[in-house]
Amino acid sequence: MGRFRANLMVCAGSGCVATKSLKVKEAFEEELQKRGLEKEIDVVLTGCNGFCAQGPIITVHPDEIFYEKIQVEDVPYLVEEHFIKGRPVEKFMYKEPTEKITIPSMHEIPFFKHQVLRVLRNKGIIDPEKIEDYITRDGYLASAKAVTAMTPEEIIKVVKDSGIRGRGGAGFPTGVKWESCARMVSDQKYMCCNGDEGDPGAFMDRSIMEADPHAVIEGMIIGAKAIGATKGYIYVRAEYPLAVHRLQLAIDAATEAGLLGKNILNSGFDFDLEIYQGAGAFVCGESTALMFSIEGRRGMPRLTPPRSTEAGLWGKPTVLNNVETLAAIPQIILNGADWFKSLGTEKSTGTKVFSLTGAINNTGLVEVPMGMTIRQIVYDIGGGVPGARRGRKFKAVQMGGPSGGCIPESLIDTPVTFEDIQKTGAIMGSGGMVFMDNSNCMVGMAKFFLEFTTDESCGKCPPCRVGTKIMLDKLSDLTEGRGKEGDIEILEELSYDIIEGSLCGLGQSAPNPVLTTIQYFRDEYESHIKDKWCKVGVCRKLTTFFINEKVCTGCGACMRACPSKAIIGEKKKPHRIIQEVCIQCRTCYDTCRFQSIIIGPADYKGDPMALLKE
Amino acid sequence: MADDIKILVVDDEPVVIKSCKRILEAEGYNIDGASGGREAIIAMEQKPYDFVITDLKMPEVDGITLIKWIKKSRPDTGVLIITGYPSQETIKDALELGIIDYVPKPFTPVVLMDVVARAIEWKQRTLPAEAKKKEEEFPPSMMAELDRMISSYKDKPGSLIPVLQRAQEIVGYLPPIVQKRISRGLNIPAAEVHGVVSFYSFFTMKPRGDHIIKVCLGTACYVKGIEEVLEKIKENLHIGVGEITEDRKFSLEAVRCLGACGLAPVMVVDHDTHSAVTPKKVMQIIDEYKTVGAKA
Repeated sequence: MGRFRANLMVCAGSGCVATKSLKVKEAFEEELQKRGLEKEIDVVLTGCNGFCAQGPIITVHPDEIFYEKIQVEDVPYLVEEHFIKGRPVEKFMYKEPTEKITIPSMHEIPFFKHQVLRVLRNKGIIDPEKIEDYITRDGYLASAKAVTAMTPEEIIKVVKDSGIRGRGGAGFPTGVKWESCARMVSDQKYMCCNGDEGDPGAFMDRSIMEADPHAVIEGMIIGAKAIGATKGYIYVRAEYPLAVHRLQLAIDAATEAGLLGKNILNSGFDFDLEIYQGAGAFVCGESTALMFSIEGRRGMPRLTPPRSTEAGLWGKPTVLNNVETLAAIPQIILNGADWFKSLGTEKSTGTKVFSLTGAINNTGLVEVPMGMTIRQIVYDIGGGVPGARRGRKFKAVQMGGPSGGCIPESLIDTPVTFEDIQKTGAIMGSGGMVFMDNSNCMVGMAKFFLEFTTDESCGKCPPCRVGTKIMLDKLSDLTEGRGKEGDIEILEELSYDIIEGSLCGLGQSAPNPVLTTIQYFRDEYESHIKDKWCKVGVCRKLTTFFINEKVCTGCGACMRACPSKAIIGEKKKPHRIIQEVCIQCRTCYDTCRFQSIIIGPADYKGDPMALLKE
Repeated sequence: MADDIKILVVDDEPVVIKSCKRILEAEGYNIDGASGGREAIIAMEQKPYDFVITDLKMPEVDGITLIKWIKKSRPDTGVLIITGYPSQETIKDALELGIIDYVPKPFTPVVLMDVVARAIEWKQRTLPAEAKKKEEEFPPSMMAELDRMISSYKDKPGSLIPVLQRAQEIVGYLPPIVQKRISRGLNIPAAEVHGVVSFYSFFTMKPRGDHIIKVCLGTACYVKGIEEVLEKIKENLHIGVGEITEDRKFSLEAVRCLGACGLAPVMVVDHDTHSAVTPKKVMQIIDEYKTVGAKA
């Protein structure tokens, strides 16, 4: 970085690439060349910055000026102002959403301010496609130490002492896993990385693999040395082509540099690494299924024990760790167990990466110390719920994907640790947090997840294969107005049967979204059944829409937005919905800025104003 | 139209040929006769026929043998049978050989005319499908490429899934013929190959369009209303998920979370990710691909 006056970091994570950041980078290079600045200002493509919603993102070092949503046509102006006249351009900077205050420095932006970067320490700083960049940041120092100067026992001790637990979902202590595999005697062992990030709404692993692929590889080398493996696989979803590309470049570069492959750093230790692309089956995130998949078979989980650490891939002892876990390992080796434990709680040490999505202002990727409360994540980092002025409020957060559950507003002060999240009925999972506001229907949400698990059940255990389908049918009945008394109890009973009768984590956790929504939002289920009323207006067959004539200003926004032209009215006078034409699409509700849309039960013929009192 | 259609009537009783001739020529068909299986084969080697109407019981070369020959050597010729013994067994044999229909003996002119008319209609309906099937035979160069790829993975354990992925890149999809080739090349039972193909959602046995539209059904996209976007596409392209448009321009797929949740709702066309898609602008995006050729 030294010889340039400034470094211009262009985010090239999947999110920003989708909003054309690569074109922006080219434009910068062209413009700088035109101005004769190409020797002074270096343009670097980096991995995911994390603040995906604001892409394409540009940061300028050393001042750490943060620019958002930069388009190709903005480039000449920005170069002129910032790099020639030396005036950072305010209009492209981040603005705090409620007060509209401009915040120039990245570290002052609340989204970044509350984060502690350990696993993501290189995000936005290095070019993930250049091994030199990684090495400058102490890269491969830990693996060099592990391979040349540490015994497997020493490595395992540090990892165990650090208390790090698997970041993939279950939270099994990593050191214990390594130890039990190291104990096995075998002619061949395998070290594998689980990059089959399947939870909808989660993209931590994708971002890590894209932003810092070498950290994952380094973690695998250390693990391989600890357990005595000479061969490894990184299993990546086929949906992540950029991650596959960058990992492959990283493997090639590391092998070329003698940091990976045969006789690493002349230590006599061999470790070969290969990428294995998945083929689209959620269940392959389960460890035994993933190994069957690498073997080229149907990825169907098997009964354990024997555990994979005893008989895994091709029957040999195998360790499978999550991407984030592995990326954290090099820092633990370098800085020690106490450093890692200095953050987090007693049983959930260190930091955790979360992806924030759904109804939240700052969608993106964050890394925070374990034990932070959900409230802090929602309001301090996430910037709250969008549409506060239209009455939108935080309602729940879904954690753990299809295996997890919904944590309601009443539990917003729950600290985010493995144990505390589990107590709510959800699970930590891999770290996907999908936020919901008061316009989301929780019965619909449960149905969405059941659709997912019904589809993704591998079919081996009938309770999961058939049971989830029956639950889905019941939930469809509920959302379409065919619910009847006793359905909630049937759903609960089925849930327990499925949990008990399934072999793997998918079936054992598939009912969680239903159970937690029943636990915390039972009244919503009941109003769907008894009153045929979806109070948030999502389930079309259970709603009637009205306009509150006392509030409506007659602005005409809903009238223009209505796809079936069901709204009539004169300008500046209250509008009205013609019920016979209305298709209950809720567009008017989403459009109205004055909260004048009232949602009533199906075929409601009474006075709409009476509904407001409910 | 009827005079384009050539029919050969095969029977060892000349009176049957004669009456068929009388009835069908009146309808405008071109009718020839043959007094047995051998004669029929000779006649068919001389010129093509659209249909053959044959008796089953004939001396020397009988009806079943004749049908077998037709199916092998003249597969485009449709077969109807006349039988005085419409017993379950003989009819079953003939049906298994792929005849279109049968005329019980004795028959009235109306029955014969009706059966023939129906056969013609059926054949016209199925013809385009068969023509399409022929189109889908793969060029030898593609097959050679496939074989080269398969053999490069031979003897490597666990190579079935990568081979299937590569094969799908080369051919575009995985029809039975491709699966069989892989099964032979890797020495893995065809049933196992098919088991893997049907298990993973990445693999498809149906051809795909020039452009592949993938709609993300992840949680974040769901919360932000991807379902309405999907409905809009279905409505406009007249296809469902997993289907291909009639002009083969587009195929529509639903995928599990693409991991681009910050941009929800997300749709990917070929390799381009489109963020914050709304029902309003989705067709505009898709229309842009209509004029573009197939992806590289």
